[in-house]
This record gives sequence, C-alpha cells and structure tokens, in this order.
Amino acid sequence: MQPPKYADWFLERFCSEELLEDLQGDLYEFYCRDLKHKGQRFADVHYWWLVLRSFRLSAIKPIKTKNSTIIMTTINLKIAARVLRKDAINSSINLFGLTLGITCFILMGLYVTQETSYDQFHSNKDRIYRSYLKETYDNGNVFFNAITPPRFEGFYEENIPEVVTAVQFFPRTHNVGRSEEKLNDELAIISPEFFEVFDFELLRGKQTNPLESREAMVISEKYAQKYFGNEDPLGQTLEVEIGDDVRRFVISAIFEDIPINSSIKFDMGISNEINDEIFGDNFRNAWFSVGPETYVLLQEGADPTEIGQRSEEIAMGLIGEARSLESYEMGLQPITDIHLNPDIPLGNGPVANPQYVFILGLIGVLVLIIACINYATLAVGQSIKRAREVGVRKVMGAVKVELMWQYLSESLLMSGLAMIIGTTVAILLIPTFNLLTNSNLQYVFEWWHMFIFLGAALAIGLLAGLYPALILSRLKILEIISGRTSGGSMHSMRKGMVVFQFLITVFLISSTLIMRKQVNYLQNEDLGYSYKTSLSVRLFPRPGEDTTFVSRHRSTMANGELLKRALTQHPEVSDLAMASHTFGSNNWANLVATEEDGTYWRFRFLLADPAFIPAFDITMAEGRNFEEDNLADERQGVIINQAAVKLFELEDPIGKKLPPSNFGDHIIIGVTEDFKYSSLHNEVDPLIIVQNPEPIFAGVTDGDMAESPIPKLMFSYNGPNLVKARELLETEWNTTFGSAEMNWEFLDERIDAQYENEQRMNTLVSVGTVLSILIAMLGLVGLIILVVNSKVKEIGIRKVMGADTMAVFKLLYNSFALPIGIAIVLSIPMTVWLMLQWLDNFAYRVDIGVGVFVISAFVATAIVGIVVGYHAWRASRLNPVESLRAE
Amino acid sequence: MERESIGELEELVLLTVGSLYDKAYAVNIVDEIRDNTQRILDVTAVHSVLRRLEKKGFVNSVMGQATAERGGRRKRMFTLTLAGRAVLDNIMAVRLELYQKLPKLSFSGM
Repeated sequence: MQPPKYADWFLERFCSEELLEDLQGDLYEFYCRDLKHKGQRFADVHYWWLVLRSFRLSAIKPIKTKNSTIIMTTINLKIAARVLRKDAINSSINLFGLTLGITCFILMGLYVTQETSYDQFHSNKDRIYRSYLKETYDNGNVFFNAITPPRFEGFYEENIPEVVTAVQFFPRTHNVGRSEEKLNDELAIISPEFFEVFDFELLRGKQTNPLESREAMVISEKYAQKYFGNEDPLGQTLEVEIGDDVRRFVISAIFEDIPINSSIKFDMGISNEINDEIFGDNFRNAWFSVGPETYVLLQEGADPTEIGQRSEEIAMGLIGEARSLESYEMGLQPITDIHLNPDIPLGNGPVANPQYVFILGLIGVLVLIIACINYATLAVGQSIKRAREVGVRKVMGAVKVELMWQYLSESLLMSGLAMIIGTTVAILLIPTFNLLTNSNLQYVFEWWHMFIFLGAALAIGLLAGLYPALILSRLKILEIISGRTSGGSMHSMRKGMVVFQFLITVFLISSTLIMRKQVNYLQNEDLGYSYKTSLSVRLFPRPGEDTTFVSRHRSTMANGELLKRALTQHPEVSDLAMASHTFGSNNWANLVATEEDGTYWRFRFLLADPAFIPAFDITMAEGRNFEEDNLADERQGVIINQAAVKLFELEDPIGKKLPPSNFGDHIIIGVTEDFKYSSLHNEVDPLIIVQNPEPIFAGVTDGDMAESPIPKLMFSYNGPNLVKARELLETEWNTTFGSAEMNWEFLDERIDAQYENEQRMNTLVSVGTVLSILIAMLGLVGLIILVVNSKVKEIGIRKVMGADTMAVFKLLYNSFALPIGIAIVLSIPMTVWLMLQWLDNFAYRVDIGVGVFVISAFVATAIVGIVVGYHAWRASRLNPVESLRAE
Repeated sequence: MERESIGELEELVLLTVGSLYDKAYAVNIVDEIRDNTQRILDVTAVHSVLRRLEKKGFVNSVMGQATAERGGRRKRMFTLTLAGRAVLDNIMAVRLELYQKLPKLSFSGM
C-alpha cells in the first residue's frame, strides 16, 4: 500500500510544510480507496493526477532563498525597473529601437525558417530522394528534368535492391464533380504506397493502403468540405472526366491538409494502377517521355550517388544503342534539397532562390545588430547621469562584476520587454507582411518556441548591454567624485560602432535603390510589343477532334474564331489575335531540329494568326506579316525573329528556307525585331512563327512543351471600366461555348508576375532599410545628446563670444562628419560586390551607376544634419549663464 | 458592512463544513457533497477552496488526530467561524427574499 514514490517526492518538494501533512493524508485515503475498488494501476494514475492538480499557487512553498545570487538578481531587476521608469523618455526610445529590431528580426526569421523548413516534416526525410533525369546526346542536346518517365517506378523497384519503395506523383487537371456540373480541378495520380513513404496523415477511412482499389480516391479535409460540405464523404463517389470517359471514384480515406511547406501538394489522389487505362503503352514504356515525379525511399545507409551511377548503367543497357544517346543520368536529389536548389529544374513544387532567403536572413540580422548597437550607444550616452550612482556604489564596496550585473540586468529587462512586444507585433503583422510581400507566411505557435524567444531575449540583452556595462563599471571613483567624467568623449570603440551602424544603413539604402532601379527597368523596359489592357482567354478544342496535335490545334482555332467573331461586334474590343502562347511566360514551346551529321538547332515555336503581329505592334525588321486569306502564307509562310536569323546563319532571309533539311515546304516571309516575349532574366531565344505547324514538325526531332500550346485568344479592351471587360468576355463566352470553364488573365498582370520575386525582395529590403534608418536615427539622437552634454560649457563660452546657431551646428556636426564619411566610403565596395552578384540573375540589367551612391550618401548626411540641427538649435538656445554657472 | 464575495463552489463547501460540524475535513467534505448533490468534486479543488475560505476567515482549522488509514498522518479539521455563518445566513436571506417575490405567473407557464 505505497503510493507512487516520485509523486510523493514531488508533492513533498513543492508543497508548503503546514499544508503537506493533511494534504498527503487526504490523497492517501483516496489512494487506499482506489486500490480497493479499482486496482493498482488506476490508483497510481489517479494519485499522480491528484498530486499534479494540487500544484497550485496557494499550495506552493514560498521560495526561501538563502542563495545570494538569486536575491541580488531580484534586487537588480527591481532597481533596473525603477531606473527605466525614472528616465521614461530615454527608456522608451531605447525600447522602441530594440523592439523595431526584434520585430524585423522575427519576421525575417520566420520567413527564412519557413523557406528552409520545406519537406522537413517527413520522418524518413533523410532517406527519401527525388529522381531527376538528364539526357545528353552526341550533338550536345541536353534534356534535364525533375519529372521522369512513368517506368522509373518499376525500374527502381526491380533493379535497385537498396530502394525500399519507389512512388510516383503526377498532378493532372481534370473535370471533377458529383453530378453533371464539374469543376476543372487538380487531381494527383499517385502510387498506392504513397502514404507509407511520406508523412501525410490519414485522418479517417481506410488507414492502410487506402488506394488498393483502382476506383479508390483519397481526398484532403479541405476538399472533403469543398465537394461534400458537411456530409460524410467516406464511401461517396466523385466523377472524373478522363479523356472521353467519365470515371467514378469512391472516397476511401481523408487525409490532413498538406502543410504549406511541402513540395508535394495535392488535394485528391487516385492510384496510378490505372495508368494502363488512361495512358498509352508508348508513354508508359518510354525512356524519353517524362510526366510524373518519382520518389524513392532508400534503405538506411544507402549511397544515392552510387545508386545514380548504377541506375544509369542498367538503364543504358536496357535502352541499347538508341538515338545517339551519350548519357542518361538518373540522379537522386534529397527531398529536403528540392525547395532551395535552383540548379535542378522545377518539378511540381515551388523552388525558391536560396540567395533571396540568405539576403532576407542577413537583413534581419543586420537590423537587429543595428538595434543592439543603438541600445549600447544610447545606454552609454545616459551613463553620465549614472556616474554618481556608480561612484556611490563603488564607495559602498561594490566590485566591478557586481556593477556589470547591475547594468546587464537593465539591458536584459529591456530586451525581455522588447522581445515580448516585438514578438506580439511581429505575429500580428504576419498578414500585413504577406500582403506586402505577396508571400504565404504562416506561424503556428508551439510551446518549445518559448525557449527560443527566451534564449534570443537573453542573447540580445547580453549583446546590447555588455559594452555599456563594461564602460560604466570601469568608471573611476576619483574622477566621478571630482566631477571629471570622461563619459562624454567619443571612445574609438564607440566611433567604430557609429561607423558600423552607418555602414549598414548606407549599404541598405544603396541596395534598395539599386534593386528598385532594376525592378523598374524590368517592368518598364520596352519589350518590343505593347500589351496595356490586353486580356487573354484560354481556348479549347472541340471534343473528339483532339487526337493529334495538328487536328487539336485546328479545331481550337476554329472554336476561337467563333468567339472572336462574337467579340468583334463590340466597339470597345480591338486587336483580336490568337496564338499558341501568350506573353509573360518562359515556356513557349521549345523545339529541336537535328541533322544526320549531328548539327542541331534549338528554337522557340509559336503558332499565331495573321492578326497577332499587328495586334501587339510588333515591329517587322524585314519582310512582311502573314496576309489574311493568303492561302500560301497560311500553309507555308514562316516569320522568324532576329535571334533566329543569327541562329540559322541566314543572310537576306526573305524568300529563303530555314536550313534544317527535314522541314516541309516553307518560305520565310518576314523577320521581326527581337521582341522580348519571355522574362528579362533570359536573353531572347530564336523564335519561329507559323500558322501551320506541319512543315516545321516534319523536321523536329525533340522538344518540350512545358506550357500547353493550345491557342489563346487575346484582345485589347478600350472601354472605361476593366470590370466591364470581364463581364463582356463572360457573356460572349457563355453564349458561344455554354458552360465550359473560362480561364482568362490580364496580360500586364501576367508579365509583371514574372518579376514577383524581385518585387517582393525589393519590398522587404525597403522595409528593412526604413527600419534601419529609423533605428540609426534613434541611436544618433542618443549620441548627440551625449556630445552636447559634454560640450555644454564649450557651447556656452562660444555663445558668449558671439557664436550663432550655425556655428554650434558646425561644432556638433564635426564630431560626426568623419565616422559618416568613413561609413559611406566603406559601403561602396560592399554594395557593389553584393549587388553585382544579384544582378547576375538577369540577362537585361541596369548599370549600378554613381548616382545611387550619391543619393544614399546624401540621404545619410541629411539624416545626420536634421538630427544634429535640431540639437544644435536646442543647445544654442541654452542661456550661457545656465551652462557656465555650474561648479 | 463590506460584503465578502463568495462563489458557488465556496458556498457549497462552506455549507458542508457547517453541516458536518466537527467532522469536516477534505475527504469527508468530498463524500458529503457527493452524497447530497451527486457532484463528484476533485479533492484538490476542495483543498484549494478551503484554503481560500480560511484566508477569508469563514472557516478555522486545527490539526486532528493521526489515524492508521492515513499512514499516520493527521487530519486538518475545519469548523465554521462566526463570519462564515453570517455569510451563509446573509446569502440564504437574500435568496429567500427573492424567491418569495417570484410571481405565481411564472409557475403557470411550467
């Protein structure tokens, strides 16, 4: 009859003595009762429960400290709080600066954490790899993809013993619904073992092997709500249009919504067992057609590099001597590497530029450092007032270490406060942050984050408080008593800090300016075509006529012609044109033509109607545009851009043919200038424009169409109200095509979206800059107060001698001119070096130019001027009698 | 007179302490409340209420004798103080007064 020992021990530890005896007795009585009626196990657990529930404030032993450190700490904190309250203005300046720094740091930190946390939540993350395929041909052609042939799943499982499981993920778009009305929605075709490899949690329904059946479907919570509302989706059916069939799937399980930081995202999944019904044998057995992403789960300790090499050898053996293939690299990339590795082509998940993540992290840290320095300078600035206090403490026998702790507790208290406010503000600001930067930051609090925040507060407090604590504790009693405080002069250390602070500020100002310049350039650069208020709407082929690429294209164009005719009736609509791609994409069809002897040409390919070139004001360098109703043009006319002229080494191209010998009958009728149809990150690629794809397709040996080449209709809207444009399009679409889903976009939005990343960066850096300027200004205020205080007598004497405000201003400004000058000079190489690296991302870029530095130097000096000016004005208004009377 | 506020659970425990007269200690109180109201209270909650009541001066406590069933530990016996009694009387009076004011009408609806 012994209650759990540790529970008793715990109770005896915390419970105050006068309560302990009867409390323990009461609990013991219950324990005996439980033991008799409910058994040992229940009694033990219940006892523990009661002990834990007894842990209340009213029962806890008062802390009887005999430990002097604890006493001193509490006293120190108490004094610190009093000091801070006494000098409320300075304390709030200090607190404000520190809070700003911490807020900025936390926001940037959350962003960086989210970016680096991608795919980290899989318990097998160290053993899961994504396969990529790099085909290299003798003629130098390279096809590099993170999506792989469907046969890879079987290949890995059969040929590589270290592969425990291989699974595939193939997101597709299909019409999905419960009845006739269907939505165009994304559906992933996944391997049945998917949930064994990844940590996507099945919440309800079949827990093991939910995709065993071909008719089974798993669905996310979000989509369960979307399609079934409050009904129970388990066992219900969803219809999916695949090809010409309507297939019915039964919901077998519901999985937890996939977190934002996952590279694999889907809301509906069906088994890839049905691949044999929906894809042809050609695709399923292909070595050179890619579609799904393949993930493998390796055994513990397996070497992915070696497996990659072995896979290549085995695959090369299976492929045989095909198509002058030089190498068939089947690499494995760790799943956690996907999100931040831009060297491997994009799969289905987003890939972030690690450079940006680094820059943002850096800004967060820099702003925090500025804030800490700020605290240090301000605290030292206030030290003169504290000199007497230090003196008295020293006389009373305080030693240096104790004094240091005293001042450190002030900064710790401050940083703790700033941390609480800063964290709260940062978390409240997340929606604003997302809006501003167009990102998707989410923060979920977990209890262990407390330790991080606490640790950070401690670190920041120490960092910010160490220097002032050192300075203050070092003051000499004699100097203090005799009133000769040296606190006013600028120590070289403090000068260094001012330089550093300004260095960062000026660097941030210059960088913001340069980035803004580049982003403006990207968005306002003359692209060689005009697109203001243009809309594009995606067309679709007539059902049943989509068997081959050419017939699909023709039937889509015919469909588009109907809509075009309907829209032409409206006077506010003009410049209607159809083409296989619209602007603002890097993925216009990319084709390759290869000769017997191995020479090859790679070019972009656009199918457009005769209205395309005039509709976008594209300038013809030579020759002419397609003529309407000119059958020869329609059949064999080819327009190329100047980059293509260079690629095909043509001279006087009009009337000639393109060199690839397998191209069908065609004739070059025109050459356009190099209009910049893709993003300015890249140079303009050679482009071939035709109306009839057949002659070119006859000679194309390879290529990829990452973006669907199904034609789009584009038109300008000249009416007064853009909302009307959409309504107009909707009406005409519905009368022409009935209930088919309409996908439309504004071209300018699409084009700007290409620079979204840069835009976002620029916003973030701007925010960082503004914050750092603010904080630096606060620091400056502190410093100037310090200098003014130390020069009160000097100013007084000068005033007596007839100096005016200007002279006082000069006197004060001189103390800062040198550090700021140094900071500006030092910032230039730093900025140039970092910004050149960033600008390397762009094929079309601005020069950094001297102007930027002139502006940022001016801004920095102006800021100093304003702050100094204000204080000079105040100092010069002091009556010299007041300042000279002392002593 | 400054009214000491008293919660529902406090009132219940206070009443029980009074009704158990000289046998009131935590375990007994829990049992008594269970028998009378079918409410199963956590003994720790009762402890905390008793401590609160004692602090407010409504109950007094003394340590009783040790018994074997408690592993030789003494009980803390609670008794109602005059102030505690006054609070209870006060509450009852207020309730009774209000209760008697209930119009007959409200019964007819039931």
